[in-house]
Amino acid sequence: MTPPRDLVLTDSLIAPAPPLPPEPETAPDAAPGLRRTQKQATRNRVIEAARELFDTQGYQGTTIREIARHAGVSVGSVFTTFASKGDVLSQVMADRLDGLYAELDRVMPHLRGATVERLRTMFAIHFSFEVRHTRLFLAHIAAAYDWTLPSTAMPMGKNQRLQRIIGECLEKGVAEGDVCPEVDQQEVIDLLMAAYAWVYRLAAWNDADAPAMTAVMDRQIALIAAGFQPRK
Amino acid sequence: MMHTAQIQAVSDSPVKAPTRRALAKQQTRAKVLDAARRLFSEQGYEGATIRDIAAAAGMSTGAVFANFTDKSDLFREIMLTDMMALADAMREAATHGVNAEDGLLKIFVAGYRFYQTQLPLARAAFSVGWSPQDGPALRAAPPVQTLLNLITEQLTKGVQSGELSQDDQIALRTQMLFDAYLANYDQAIFQGWTIDALQGRSRDQIRILLAGVRRS
Repeated sequence: MTPPRDLVLTDSLIAPAPPLPPEPETAPDAAPGLRRTQKQATRNRVIEAARELFDTQGYQGTTIREIARHAGVSVGSVFTTFASKGDVLSQVMADRLDGLYAELDRVMPHLRGATVERLRTMFAIHFSFEVRHTRLFLAHIAAAYDWTLPSTAMPMGKNQRLQRIIGECLEKGVAEGDVCPEVDQQEVIDLLMAAYAWVYRLAAWNDADAPAMTAVMDRQIALIAAGFQPRK
Repeated sequence: MMHTAQIQAVSDSPVKAPTRRALAKQQTRAKVLDAARRLFSEQGYEGATIRDIAAAAGMSTGAVFANFTDKSDLFREIMLTDMMALADAMREAATHGVNAEDGLLKIFVAGYRFYQTQLPLARAAFSVGWSPQDGPALRAAPPVQTLLNLITEQLTKGVQSGELSQDDQIALRTQMLFDAYLANYDQAIFQGWTIDALQGRSRDQIRILLAGVRRS
């Protein structure tokens, strides 16, 4: 996860403050630490409020002003920590996904069975983790196409960690002989990611639960697998 | 909107007046749509406001609202108009396919060509398409169904000609082909892929998605 942009060392309550010069050396010892703690607390409150709002109202339906009001902080202090709405969402997702990927890193090496089964399990873990927040996930995807997204923010399609996990899954399959070595893995990864994203849309729009999401994804994985398995 | 049009048509008794009025209304709508198209392309869906669009069209926000219920209505109208033209282009392209697999590729490429010069608008469309509020309506719009039908037609044709074996997952395969087609726009939008590169990628992906039913 990228650290929050801490360059603006101010708790100013007025809207977007210009960067201040570095703190004078003579500042009281306690102040920088205290300020950092306050800043961290503000960040956490903003993240929490934003998660709720994005989850219920989507990306376009949520404004920075609402996030600030919901978090009980000023609009200005939101902007001292985050560059834009897209940046807030990106941080919300990063915080959430850290937990998911730690779990996957722990589980994946122990998975046995065919590549299809390992992929199914891996995506099923995603769905059980995200099922209550499918709208948040859609918001995340929608935001990738928004103009205000800073280049540092990570749109869904560029999620390197998920791409890496799928890639490792396929590599293992190549080694074990159920993934054709000639297949372009990036193309398979992109197809799986497209299928994965589609399932969220289905879930958010049709109120599908985790088992329903998993069932749809399982069928899509099987269909893609027919294209990456060695021809008999 | 259709209701209002009908009511007007009934209540306006002189024969010429409604025509002129309808014409003026049509011109106003066209002006708003032109301005909106430009602003959505320049500033994205979020960035463009009704007020900016009205100003760019040289009219009041009231005049815009007299023709469109809100921003999403305006945007949907632009997208649906484009999609109908897109469907025509795809249908035409598909006739040049030597078989189903090639027909699908021709459909994909016709789409990438269509949006080649208006990628910013496509980008705005994806942003709307994924939103919980406006996404379902856009995805369920009849022109989208037309695009899906074009894909299904190719699959059916492939089964009939014996190129593909009997397919019990034709709906799923259609939807996955469509999503693969859409997902490749990311490469065009964010990484500047050329039509050739998109074509190469699409050819492989279509092959992967048809592998389960391809004979040979």
